[in-house]
Amino acid sequence: MNDMTLMENTVDTQNIKISAKDVNVYYGDSHAIKDVNVEIEDKTVTAFIGPSGCGKSTFMRCLNRMNDTIGTCRVQGDILLDGEDIYDKRVDPVQLRAKVGMVFQKPNPFPKSIYDNVAYGPRIHGLARNKAELDEIVEKSLRRGAIWDEVKDRLDAPGTGLSGGQQQRLCIARAVATEPEVLLMDEPCSALDPIATAQVEELIDELRNRYSVVIVTHSMQQAARVSQKTAFFHLGNLVEFGPTGQIFTNPEDPRTESYITGRIG
Amino acid sequence: MTDLSQSPAGAAPRKHGGSLLEKTPHTRKRNAAETRFKAYGIAAITAGLIMLLVLVTTIVGKGTGAFQQTFVTLNVELLEAKLDKKGNRNIEDIKKVTTFGYAPIIKGAMEAAVAELGIETSLKSKELAGILSKDVAAQLRDFVIANPDQIGQTVEFRFLASSRVDGYLKGRVTRDSIVNDKNISAEQLDLVDALAAAGVLEKTFNLDFITGADASDARPEAAGIGVSMLGSLFMMLVVLALALPIGVAASIYLEEFAPQNWLTDMIEVNISNLAAVPSIVFGILGLAVFINYMHLPTSAPLVGGLVLTLMTLPTIIISTRASLKSVPPSIRDAALGVGASKMQAVFHHVLPLAAPGILTGTIIGLAQALGETAPLLLIGMVGFIASNAPETLADGLLAPNSAMPAQIYEWAKRADPAFYERAWGGIIILLIFLVTMNTLAVILRRRFERRW
Amino acid sequence: MPTFWLVALLLALSAAGFYGGRRRALATAAGNVKELHSLPSYYGYHVAMAAFVPAIAALAVWLLAQPMFIETRVSGMIPAEAVPESSTLGLVMSDVRRVAEGLDLAVEQGLLTAREARNAVAGEQDLRALMGEVGVALGSNVRPEVLEAAQAYRNLSNTGRTAMTVVVALLALGGFAWAYSRTHKDFRARNVVERAVLGLLILAASLAILTTIGIVLSMLFETRNFFGLHSWTDFFFGSTWAPNFRGGSELSILPLLWGTLYISFIALLVAVPVGLFAAIYLSEYASGAVRAFAKPLLEILAGIPTIVYGLFALLTVGPALADLFGKGGLLGVEWMAGATSVLTAGLVMGVMLIPFVSSLSDDIINAVPQALRDGSLGLGATKSETVRQVVMPAALPGIVGAVLLAASRAIGETMIVVMGAGAIAKFSANPLESMTTITTRIVSQLTGDTDFASPETLVAFALGLTLFVLTLGLNVLALYIVRKYREQYE
Repeated sequence: MNDMTLMENTVDTQNIKISAKDVNVYYGDSHAIKDVNVEIEDKTVTAFIGPSGCGKSTFMRCLNRMNDTIGTCRVQGDILLDGEDIYDKRVDPVQLRAKVGMVFQKPNPFPKSIYDNVAYGPRIHGLARNKAELDEIVEKSLRRGAIWDEVKDRLDAPGTGLSGGQQQRLCIARAVATEPEVLLMDEPCSALDPIATAQVEELIDELRNRYSVVIVTHSMQQAARVSQKTAFFHLGNLVEFGPTGQIFTNPEDPRTESYITGRIG
Repeated sequence: MTDLSQSPAGAAPRKHGGSLLEKTPHTRKRNAAETRFKAYGIAAITAGLIMLLVLVTTIVGKGTGAFQQTFVTLNVELLEAKLDKKGNRNIEDIKKVTTFGYAPIIKGAMEAAVAELGIETSLKSKELAGILSKDVAAQLRDFVIANPDQIGQTVEFRFLASSRVDGYLKGRVTRDSIVNDKNISAEQLDLVDALAAAGVLEKTFNLDFITGADASDARPEAAGIGVSMLGSLFMMLVVLALALPIGVAASIYLEEFAPQNWLTDMIEVNISNLAAVPSIVFGILGLAVFINYMHLPTSAPLVGGLVLTLMTLPTIIISTRASLKSVPPSIRDAALGVGASKMQAVFHHVLPLAAPGILTGTIIGLAQALGETAPLLLIGMVGFIASNAPETLADGLLAPNSAMPAQIYEWAKRADPAFYERAWGGIIILLIFLVTMNTLAVILRRRFERRW
Repeated sequence: MPTFWLVALLLALSAAGFYGGRRRALATAAGNVKELHSLPSYYGYHVAMAAFVPAIAALAVWLLAQPMFIETRVSGMIPAEAVPESSTLGLVMSDVRRVAEGLDLAVEQGLLTAREARNAVAGEQDLRALMGEVGVALGSNVRPEVLEAAQAYRNLSNTGRTAMTVVVALLALGGFAWAYSRTHKDFRARNVVERAVLGLLILAASLAILTTIGIVLSMLFETRNFFGLHSWTDFFFGSTWAPNFRGGSELSILPLLWGTLYISFIALLVAVPVGLFAAIYLSEYASGAVRAFAKPLLEILAGIPTIVYGLFALLTVGPALADLFGKGGLLGVEWMAGATSVLTAGLVMGVMLIPFVSSLSDDIINAVPQALRDGSLGLGATKSETVRQVVMPAALPGIVGAVLLAASRAIGETMIVVMGAGAIAKFSANPLESMTTITTRIVSQLTGDTDFASPETLVAFALGLTLFVLTLGLNVLALYIVRKYREQYE
């Protein structure tokens, strides 16, 4: 078994999880995302980098149709998850978001117990047939969130009573509880202190064994540390997309080079 | 290859490994629940709006009748023999003839009219006169005393019909309902039909309802809301004259000058509590302090105004504080920067900028005060007939009077359908005032609102 | 002189002071405004305020204190034997006041000369008829002690009024003179005036405390009198309300409290679900257009005066319910006797409270951070699941506070229950029966014909005090809960 997992760690270009073609996003009259084409691979961490306001968060929110909640937002183009167009009329976003989980910038645990926070997703999607199964799912998720040891004795304590880093790991545990296939993380460490950041980055590295992870980050160092592929966005365009090592040492586009050398953004 | 990433065998199977393009039954159930939930929300809003509609239609449907009244046009011969026996046209002698003395004249006029129009009826003269309001004699007497030179002439008058006749024309009174009614008979209704056909009796717009005074139990047809309207007006004057300056002064202190100490906290707690105290408690306060202790005249608009001032004060303070708060600190800083004192900054700069908000809040506070009834009940503004229009300012403030909501309550208490109609009509007038005031407040707010 | 002219005189004096002060200040600066410490108008205000404020304050205090003072003095004059069996000192005093007023009116209208009025002796003239002529109705002939007391009353009132005029005038003139003498170009008029204005502002703000104190004291005194005449244990724990103007009434608050709470409960049963769901829909689902249309319309329900609701209950809802549940009605049952009932008043009160609950809930729901909703939606929850399982539990303390406030409003409501609930006090679980409330009884006991000092009338103060404490308690509790909830998110 181990050998096979080792082989999975190398980048496999045939394992495309999400495929975006000619995606354009409009907020009212403003053209926020312009002709983006990108392929997110499975079992890989893909980083979206770029200066503020370049559209990386907006694009990521298209991947789980969170932009639907904004009335003035219009999405054109194709976004395929496992070959199925997520914007197809037949698709219920509710089911999509069980497959594509999200972790937000500022940790937002519900004002419920730790157990109930994690159990929320499985409950609404009907993933557990009885309490025993639910307990199992909660424990498994908390372990995957690398927080089980810290909270296993106080599952009834309120989720809001944890420290910032712990809260974010709780949110990650909550997101994986619905057994998603893709995890979207919108600047997950920007509200955390360095130690908590390190813990979460370590966790991301473990997560990529199971999920396809997309992470938006402001920190190029973080992108370099955790991701295998990187996409550079600028003013709504996807300027360059490629293996992380190549983007940061030998970028093809001059704009990319300007960004990573600090001249822009 | 994705199998390996699955959880160990034996765990729950993936519930959503299937296609996104198919809705699982579970999702369908959840969507149904969603639709139901939205339906509850819409139902709630619709229920509220329907209640509003029902209220408005009831008020309009039942109240517009009060603005019309049935009148009879009669030629009355002012017989000298009855009114001025000595023939001297001496005012004192004429005044000695009471309203009873006018009864024969009215009877005579009715008989003459019936004969002239060729109406056949078996009614006696007293019953003929019975279709007219009991107010008619007084109306005649007032006219004669004012115009003694008309004695001996035949003058055309427009008389109020009795409330039963009025009810008949409005559909309130039917031939079935009068079976046990002593005040009207079927033959009298026949007479009414005949008079109406002849054009002598008709239902027209009744300005007296809006401008006139209240009338006693027996004469609902003569009752009007005009005098109580004046009572309300005087009360509002008192409220405006007292609550506005005191409220603004208190707000300025609390917002601009008050230090953060226990006294300020105390004051603020008191204000928010007073805003939530039931209105009847203010009525008790008014009774105990203004009437029993200070011996101010009962039923006086001044007392009502004082009680309503205390009630409106918290509202005005809260809205004034909000207006003052909305003026940005940069204005105050700019004024202080050129050397104005704090008080000059407040009075010369902040207050004028907050003025539209203060005005709006005051108008809304006044509108609320206009509709208050409970405290007025306790200080004596019901239970009598508001019949004298005040003549001077002092009279207006100190003479016993009613107010519009109290008058409406009084009419409702009299348990006569004719008075009920007047109560609804009074509500229409009250609501017209309120709608006007609130609309004015909204217009002012829109016009003068500044977005900082 | 009459108060009106005194005040007018004070105003005139102040105006004179304003102009005089300003001129003098300019004079001391040889006409050069720049030499003055403050703007010229401040010197004017200084003199005007010094003339007006102490004088008007003294006037107000005197007008308030004089009646009480005279009342005590003159009551002391009436010997205990002079108070008839069936009467009280209070009634005799009111007779005294009326006789005094009658004598004054008689002099004013020329029916008596001032000397005759002073020297009137009971029994010599028919004073009762005379009083009747000037419009003062007396129940019986004027007794000698009453007449004597009335004369004393008139004398004291007159002396008091003259003294007041003198004192007020002296204060005004004194203030004028003192301020005028201080007027000089180096005098810091603005500071003095501003400090005085600040004092006035503080006074205005303290009126709030004064009002609360007034409310509490006014009810406390009479409640104390009441508990002197009627046992307090019976009031709070007895079970019958049956006032009898001949005495021996049973006056207990419990049946009234039951009626009040029952009606409020029904009102909340209507208002809370409707208001809450309306608020949820408007804040979570409704488009801007729907919200802009529906919200103001619902607010209109809040602006309708309660007398309108009362009439609606009495004349529309009551008979409609009677048509349904009463004799000869649609359902063929005879559950309802008249038009007034707990259900009538409760339903209408519920409609009145809908916008109250709705707008409070709206604020509370909007205060729940958007991040929580995003987190829930991101997990794949539908909007209704998010509202039910995340937003509402988060907003619960605030909603509870809103419901408590609505309950407090319902408990203190008067007009709807006076017209829609009826006058019978009873403990019954049947909402179609008519049951009376605390507020209704306060109105009926204070507007009836009973003697003011009797327990039947005084009980209204005890009822009022209980009502005040009850609503105050609910309000404080509600605000405490809402504040704790707000802290959670800030």
